[in-house]
Amino acid sequence: MSARQTPNEFLKQIIGRPVVVKLNNGVDYRGVLACLDGYMNIALEQTEEYSNGQLKNKYGDAFIRGNNVLFISTQKRRN
Amino acid sequence: MAAPVPTLLPLELVDKCIGSRIHIIMKNDKEIVGTLLGFDDFVNMVLEDVSEFESTPEGRRVTKLDQILLNGNNITMLVPGGEGPEAHS
Repeated sequence: MSARQTPNEFLKQIIGRPVVVKLNNGVDYRGVLACLDGYMNIALEQTEEYSNGQLKNKYGDAFIRGNNVLFISTQKRRN
Repeated sequence: MAAPVPTLLPLELVDKCIGSRIHIIMKNDKEIVGTLLGFDDFVNMVLEDVSEFESTPEGRRVTKLDQILLNGNNITMLVPGGEGPEAHS
């Protein structure tokens, strides 16, 4: 029952952290999460774009429309 | 005749799975295995200790640590307690 809030709680916790955002088309974006909303619209800072493991750099702010988002992952860089 | 079976709603089944491993099959031949932390009415899911499997490049796996929020839009099927595609014997 209390699990119903977990996605919203998760969203509040991760603001300001480095995240990986994967889109439906398989493209990966890594950056610091500036803000996001309930539609999974995302604003990132210091963003890097990875396509098939290859890096296409983007700096500054990036806005991602939420309908494209497959998942948002936090990253502790233990890899 | 069979005894009456107590009705189990789909979201109740998912709720029971919180804290255990779950195997998620997406619409686009991708599979995700992780520990379920929670979900919402749209079946967006918060998972931990996640591995991501894609079918095409001979079972490539990308393991993510920490937590992910998986968009429920692309989920096709949930398998409680599932180990993922590498567990086939």
